Amino acid sequence: MSQSTPKNAGPPNWAISFFRRFCNDHLCDAVLGDMLELYNRRFTKAGKRKADWLFIWNVIQFLQPFALKKTKKSQNSNTAAMFKNYLKVAWRSMVRQKMYTSIKIGGFALGIAACILISLFIRQELSYDNFYGNGDRIYRAYNEFASEGEVNKWTSFPAPTAGIFKADFPEVVKAGRLIPYPGWFNAGSNLFRRGDQVQNTYEEGFAYADQSLIDILQIPMVYGQTENALADPYSIVISKTVADKYFPDEDPVGKPIILNDDEKTPYKVGGVMQDFPNNTHLQYDYLITLTGLEFWEGEQTSWCCWNYNIYFELQPGTDPKELETKLLAVRDTHYVGHLEKNGDQSAEEVKKNHFFRLQPIAEVYLYSDGIHSNVETGDIQFVWLFGGVAFFVLLLACINFINLSTAKSANRAKEVGMRKVVGSFKIHLVRQFLAESTLYSLVSFLVGVLLAWIGMPFFNQLADKSLTIPWLEWWFIPTLFGSAVLVGILAGLYPAFYLSAFKPIDVLKGSLSSGSKSSRMRSIMVIFQFTTSVVLIIGTFIIYRQMQYILNKKIGFDKEHVVLIQGANTLGDRVKTLKTELASLAGVQNAAISGYLPISGTKRDGNPFWREGKSKEDKAVGAQRWYVDSDYMGTLGMKLVDGRNFIQGMAADSSSIIVNQAFVSEFGFENPVGERIQNWKPYTIIGVVEDFHFESLKGKIEPLTMVYGEWGDVVSVKVSSSDMKEVLASIKSVWDDFAPNQPMRYSFLDESYARMYEDVQTMGRVFTTFAVLAIVVACLGLFALSAYMVEQRGKEISIRIVLGASGRVIFNLLTLNFIKLVFISLLLAIPLGWYLMKSWLEDYTYRTDITWEVFALSGLMALGIAVLTISFESIKASRMNPIKSLRSE
Amino acid sequence: MKGTYLGEFEELVLLTVGILYDDAYGLAIVDELEKQTGRNVMLSSAHKALVRLEDKGYLKSKMGGATESRGGREKRLYELTHAGAKVLEQSKELRNAMWNQVPKIVWEGNSL
Repeated sequence: MSQSTPKNAGPPNWAISFFRRFCNDHLCDAVLGDMLELYNRRFTKAGKRKADWLFIWNVIQFLQPFALKKTKKSQNSNTAAMFKNYLKVAWRSMVRQKMYTSIKIGGFALGIAACILISLFIRQELSYDNFYGNGDRIYRAYNEFASEGEVNKWTSFPAPTAGIFKADFPEVVKAGRLIPYPGWFNAGSNLFRRGDQVQNTYEEGFAYADQSLIDILQIPMVYGQTENALADPYSIVISKTVADKYFPDEDPVGKPIILNDDEKTPYKVGGVMQDFPNNTHLQYDYLITLTGLEFWEGEQTSWCCWNYNIYFELQPGTDPKELETKLLAVRDTHYVGHLEKNGDQSAEEVKKNHFFRLQPIAEVYLYSDGIHSNVETGDIQFVWLFGGVAFFVLLLACINFINLSTAKSANRAKEVGMRKVVGSFKIHLVRQFLAESTLYSLVSFLVGVLLAWIGMPFFNQLADKSLTIPWLEWWFIPTLFGSAVLVGILAGLYPAFYLSAFKPIDVLKGSLSSGSKSSRMRSIMVIFQFTTSVVLIIGTFIIYRQMQYILNKKIGFDKEHVVLIQGANTLGDRVKTLKTELASLAGVQNAAISGYLPISGTKRDGNPFWREGKSKEDKAVGAQRWYVDSDYMGTLGMKLVDGRNFIQGMAADSSSIIVNQAFVSEFGFENPVGERIQNWKPYTIIGVVEDFHFESLKGKIEPLTMVYGEWGDVVSVKVSSSDMKEVLASIKSVWDDFAPNQPMRYSFLDESYARMYEDVQTMGRVFTTFAVLAIVVACLGLFALSAYMVEQRGKEISIRIVLGASGRVIFNLLTLNFIKLVFISLLLAIPLGWYLMKSWLEDYTYRTDITWEVFALSGLMALGIAVLTISFESIKASRMNPIKSLRSE
Repeated sequence: MKGTYLGEFEELVLLTVGILYDDAYGLAIVDELEKQTGRNVMLSSAHKALVRLEDKGYLKSKMGGATESRGGREKRLYELTHAGAKVLEQSKELRNAMWNQVPKIVWEGNSL
């Protein structure tokens, strides 16, 4: 506050000058006088400080319409009138040229709709797991094993780890464990019934969890308390949806529940939790307590087996990186200790290469690429891809707008000239055209929001989401409005300055023709549009080819006509009889029992293998060990390349093992059959199966072994008859004899296989959609441009026709220029597309080749569409009656 | 101009201008109003009402009467116009007429 008046007693000068600035002349002096009088009165009564404040308060009180400067208003009325005029002129030119207007607005609206949808998608993706009470202190632990350039990451830990972490480190407030692996005892899916009913229902979404896990996540409860819902042994927390289904209108806490018809171990409902929101990576309807649970003797204290995911709540202010290094003490004592006790040779390597890592819970969903876990994850790359595509579509739409505005400039040139002659400054014209483009933008946003609303269900299907348009959120409408104005101004800038720069004398003399000055700029933009479109077409083609390649690749087994019957484990030993009966059905070729399937997400069992007797000297080779029966390979169509299959009922086969080719080459066996290997017990190799893909084609085929076992929860049935319906019916009647209380659940192997590649399919669909959108937008622009050129050169064409030019000559004249532009785009797009798609394919170990046909086809398509678009107007022009455009002169 | 409706506060301001007669300016009106009604009146609301009343044609104003304590600034002195006087009179008559129509019993009842 400056006090530079000679009278030291006065109120703050800045307040006075502020008042002077806004107050009108009518009141200014009189009110200021009043306020000063009041000030002096207060000054003597209450002192300077208080008087100053009250003076400022008085000034603020006069910030009302009645006291504001009127001079401003008189200026305003002129501006307002001009704006009214701008809008009127804009409206007139919109209405006069319906085609251009609808193309401008339609293209814009398409781009905006795409942008809105994708922004909502991205918002949803980014919102995952950021709503927990102590979210910034909750971390998920994972393992990292880096050796020889290969990094392996996974989330499972041995049972005692969480307890040790919590006991040894004060930074850890709580540590909670989760077993999310389907097939691990009761995790995954189960038959479910209330204790007082007999009919079982198949339910999914089971996981084992600690009481401390729900404490950490602060899961809100409908019935029961978060603090003790899982505290008792054999308690289970169910979601509200489940409670509503099985216990409508009652409090289920304390009620018994039977899983898989096992009445010997009943569960008890410990609480009902709110359903997990859509945007969390944890999606479970049933949490079974880990309290007092030991899956086998000594399991809870053993470091043998890695099955538990761990979540931490840390002390405020803990540095997770620092804690990570501290955690390594646990690795060196407990884990290495365990290995050394067993004489395992990997102890040294573990010390060197094995690390415990912490990941904030909010990052689990988007940033878990490369971390093996089976919780729902997204991909930050997808977010970028979607975002990029949306941006480009909007950009294309903006370019259309700019192109059309400058192309149509000739029609506005006279108006610009006239306005300048009667006294417009350049700034006024710029303002006019910006207002106009903002108007366009606002209308386009309106249409775009409508389109987005209509397109939402389709988009949800496309991206496999369930989004809605947040009409009622406070920020939604203002954001849209703000973006509309911003986009309108950005898209209008170039045309505004271009148009307002016309010299009135040139324009009015008529020497400026057809807005040709900016034709180079326009060409560049057309090239840009088509380059983008062609890249998207190439991307679409290659993604589809990769998809086809995956679905049709020789994968080492026969996925066609195989029915997988699930939930057979409840039959116990009777499953063998079921299998024999199914195999003897007409139209059934073969049947096998095994829960291990060449589809990711089914049962897996990783094991270390050594040559027999070398477990203390050699490094272990990790390999799957699958329990299969003697019909397994026959049913799934796997090929034995050496040795023999298991023989049913042969006692000696209990220590026989069949290995795949990857296993053989990992061990370097010359004659694998007859070699002896061991994991916990010794086996003799009796056969070698040809490599088959049992995980996604993104990775290479890992070593795998099969041992004999006639148990499992899945019965696979190979159907030979072509009448699948009839065979299914007979399979079902057999099943119903065996398990009358349990509806048959089945799936088809080929469908499950295709589901493994859903992300590729999603990507393919996204690319197709947006490639189509981009092409539509680009073509709209091209169409309008060509129509405009035809209109401009109407007289020229007429004269040519009169002088004897043939239709073809006219056609060539009009199209050649555009086709040249499309060719240039092709030259740019092909290398770009090749490069981008090559890097995408590098993610896949097994991939299709990029061949020249892809580019030829994409090029032809783009060219064809462009020619079709242009020729519509060109043909019309070449066949018109020249009199029509000449007679008026 | 704007409607001729006279608000309660506006009526009070008009009357105050009448009371003060030749020294009716913003701050004096505020003081007088506070004295007469016991309400707290903001300087800005008084000025707002004055501007409105002038717009409606009930007041006219001129500048004059600068003093030392005002930093030498003149006051805007207000004066009732003919229309202003008339509207006050109408208002008073309306009230009187309505008063007279209220049965006596009401007042007596109330005083119980």
